Amino acid sequence: MNKLTKLFITFISAITLMLSSMSSSFAKVDGEYIVLGAAISLTGKYSSNGVHTQNGYNLAVDRINKMGGVEVQGKKYKFEIIYYDDESNPKRAAQLAERLINQDGVKYMLGPYSSGLTKAIAPVTEKYKIPMVEANGASRSLFTKGYKYLFAVLSPANQYLEVAIDLAVEKNGGKPVRIAQAFEQDAFSQDVRLGILDAAKRTGSEIIIDDKLPKELNDMAATLAKVKATKPDVLVVSGHTKGALTAIRQIAEMKVDVPMLAMTHCDAAKLSKQHGKKSEYALCASQWHKNLSYKDKFFGTGKKYDKDFKKEFGYAPPYQSAESSAALLVFKDAFERANSFDGDKVRDALKTTEMQTFYGNIKFGPGGQNTAKPMILFQVRCKGDTCENKVVAPTKWASDKFYHPIPKWSERS
Amino acid sequence: MDKVKQKDLILYSGLIILGLAAPFLFPGFKVQLTILCVLIVLAMTWNLQGGEMGYNTFGNILFYGLGMYLTASVQVGMFFPLAEWTESGGEKTFVHTTSQYFQGMGVGLLVAALVPTIIAGAIGYAILGLRGHYFAICTLGLGIAAGEIAGGIEIIGAGQGFTTPPFPKDIVDPGARGDFFYFLSFVLLIGTFVFIKWIYGSRFKLILNAIRDNEDKAEAMGIQTMKYKIVGWMVSAFFAGLAGGIMGGLIGYIDSTDVAFDGREMGVFMVLMAILGGKGTLWGPVIGAALFHFLKEGFWTLILGWQYVALGVLIVVIVIYFPEGLMGWLREKYPERFGEVIDEKDRKAQVELK
Repeated sequence: MNKLTKLFITFISAITLMLSSMSSSFAKVDGEYIVLGAAISLTGKYSSNGVHTQNGYNLAVDRINKMGGVEVQGKKYKFEIIYYDDESNPKRAAQLAERLINQDGVKYMLGPYSSGLTKAIAPVTEKYKIPMVEANGASRSLFTKGYKYLFAVLSPANQYLEVAIDLAVEKNGGKPVRIAQAFEQDAFSQDVRLGILDAAKRTGSEIIIDDKLPKELNDMAATLAKVKATKPDVLVVSGHTKGALTAIRQIAEMKVDVPMLAMTHCDAAKLSKQHGKKSEYALCASQWHKNLSYKDKFFGTGKKYDKDFKKEFGYAPPYQSAESSAALLVFKDAFERANSFDGDKVRDALKTTEMQTFYGNIKFGPGGQNTAKPMILFQVRCKGDTCENKVVAPTKWASDKFYHPIPKWSERS
Repeated sequence: MDKVKQKDLILYSGLIILGLAAPFLFPGFKVQLTILCVLIVLAMTWNLQGGEMGYNTFGNILFYGLGMYLTASVQVGMFFPLAEWTESGGEKTFVHTTSQYFQGMGVGLLVAALVPTIIAGAIGYAILGLRGHYFAICTLGLGIAAGEIAGGIEIIGAGQGFTTPPFPKDIVDPGARGDFFYFLSFVLLIGTFVFIKWIYGSRFKLILNAIRDNEDKAEAMGIQTMKYKIVGWMVSAFFAGLAGGIMGGLIGYIDSTDVAFDGREMGVFMVLMAILGGKGTLWGPVIGAALFHFLKEGFWTLILGWQYVALGVLIVVIVIYFPEGLMGWLREKYPERFGEVIDEKDRKAQVELK
């Protein structure tokens, strides 16, 4: 046997030893810690929302641990999360889910950011029977596959902007409206589109522009030029944070006059801060707003959550953070009711969840979606140079009246 | 001569035994090992163009993505209406039986191997006349265009993505799926390696090298370079298509630009791995892919959020210190062991001629 072969064999056995000692160094419950796994987009196109998600998780973990942790069979446990960066890529996310489960021995998962990534992870958690509470995968198709271990604290994507169409019809004196819409080519936005199609059918409204936006969304001038020419009653845009920012920027640049503008992701994009008065009158779908009257014993009210979050991270929490925090409250509640660490028992407990959090009521439907919480709409309104998001629908929580139609650019100062 | 062969035999049988035993030795790493096999296949096939033929292609991702969509589409389409499957996202829940799943997978992989090969032939005929940067840019466009087009085709899920059939429920063992995909990719790896090793011993490889070193001279010598370039690309497409098909089934969810026609990641990785290991060598891409994957999986998590910065540094280091890749570096350092083997008889014959 020559030198090289020896070297080769040594190398292989070294790796073998290293790998086998690495396997399952964590367990589902490690001492006083309950270990949760999460793949989060810390880089890539979803990185800003990924960080919102992570901050939401971390805030809730800190809060729950500080307030006594989780009590299972008379013993107090603390939460701990293992994070990986999924690079905003479904392929990577699926691979990391396997890694969390097989190598890190994680038995309970938290969701990633975005529907596409959740879609990639769900088959894996389902295969290993790992309960996953997710807070950022809203695509309807997630809840129609018959997944048994997937629970979402948020309302499905198709409900995001349906209400906006109803509102437009109402403002139009009950008559059908003409809709222009542009959606990013991804699972979430395409589902929002399906919701609009349903609403249009229901109200007899006509869709005059139905554009698709690329994933690397930096320009939608072509759509806006068409909007200028055809003058629809309502313009609907959805393309995550980048979509919201691009739309507002270009609508202002091109001075596109449209009576009503409905969007998603306004608060994650910090529209009112980034674009100030240019973003005024934009109507936004949101899962949560701090002014809602829900509360729980960990975070108190939405307003208090808003304050605590600002103190910790230095910016106002978008709903992506709020729903992520809520996911941990759901897990805590389920562990305590299951009074066990058995995956199936925890899953059964999750299934019968019925609770109120600062984020909203949570009760899971047969597909795993949250059926107890309505979507809300807010409108960006400005006083002087400071702009704020004001809730305008549903009427129960509305703090302001819905302003319609949007004044023409020539009349705006 | 015999001694060399015996050494090779030990090496190969050792590697095959290691490959067969790997999923049992490290059951937790099955998915990473599967991906490693696929990465090696992609790096080796890229090396045929980029390394041996001197045509830097970014277009091989096209065949990989096509293979992925084709396998999944055939697997679903053989038994259920494809449009309903993707449109509903499984609203009407269709379930493959065990035999349907494997039959679909088999036929799907067959289609995933053949169709990209044919397409490579057709596209190759059109664009392999381009040389140098023009060819590289043109192929870069291919991958991007394919991603955008796939993102607009409703029947394969468009922007919603395509969920591939889940592994049959009747097979209860949760490890079975991992084993299945691992061995599938391992077989593909062996197939690819044997085939490319065979090419390395053939006149075909010398012609590819001639094209790389001086295409005009090669043509002047009477070689129909176009024919060889196209065939070379078809070989790559065949294996890349299969690799894509396996990856699609493994990941379980196909997204047009992020998973299938993922030129930004996979498309660049395959080039990087071949260069890291040393392009234009048989073992270079294998070593490059293994090292790259090991670094990626091992260190990615230690520098959470900064991994791409680290990757950038790695690329700079490779280009500056190992411009010929690891194999190239080894060749320079230990020419007697890793250098080009010149047939002794041949050398003597040439000396006598003089």
